[in-house]
Amino acid sequence: MIIHSTRFGDVECPEEKILKIPSGIIGFPASTRYLILDHDRDVPFKWLQSLDQEELAFVIVDPVWFKPDYRVTIALDEISELGRVDERELVMFVMLTIPSDDPSRMTANLRGPVVVNAGTRIGKQLILREEFPTRAPVLHDVPALPLPVGHCISLVECHR
Amino acid sequence: MLVLTRKITEGITIGPNIRVIVLEIKGGQVRLGIEAPHAVQVHRDEVYARILEENQQAALTNAGTLPPFIQLQDLVKKKA
Repeated sequence: MIIHSTRFGDVECPEEKILKIPSGIIGFPASTRYLILDHDRDVPFKWLQSLDQEELAFVIVDPVWFKPDYRVTIALDEISELGRVDERELVMFVMLTIPSDDPSRMTANLRGPVVVNAGTRIGKQLILREEFPTRAPVLHDVPALPLPVGHCISLVECHR
Repeated sequence: MLVLTRKITEGITIGPNIRVIVLEIKGGQVRLGIEAPHAVQVHRDEVYARILEENQQAALTNAGTLPPFIQLQDLVKKKA
């Protein structure tokens, strides 16, 4: 199928790559279907592009890239909407806020990660009880490049 | 809005499996105990509002704002 995107134009993507987020990203309840698009093969960032609002897209990253000790605890019934969960198939990404005047000050929202069941391709944005920052500096903590590309995100990626 | 008056140790029941109990009232603050299934997310208003605001900020990123690999290397060097 072809999806329309304000930032990237028309993107061809097989239907089985669609990621469903039934309760939406908080603040954007009208978008429940997304695609994950590559940004640049060699950076760990991806785009989470809405299929329901062509102007809506987020930059996402595997949090382990810049916070290797980032761990969250989730009760299984908290994510019951993801369908039958095999823990090995749970993956996670966080969204980035990138100031247009200084991208080096990009921050990641560690308090509201998105967890995805790679088996069912259903995801949900969590609000963690742990006091993680919503604006954690990203490049601050990155030791050096080149970097491992987020293993978790590759499970749901799609090329443009 | 439904308005109810409760004393300490008294509570309210919402639906079949949510209970909110007043535990303590002190100096203009109320401590509440909340019993709810895990599937029901319970948050302080301001935490929810912060996530929502951050999502709105994150959605403003333009395709050109995110640096490609080469520039990202420079950014990381600058920070180091």
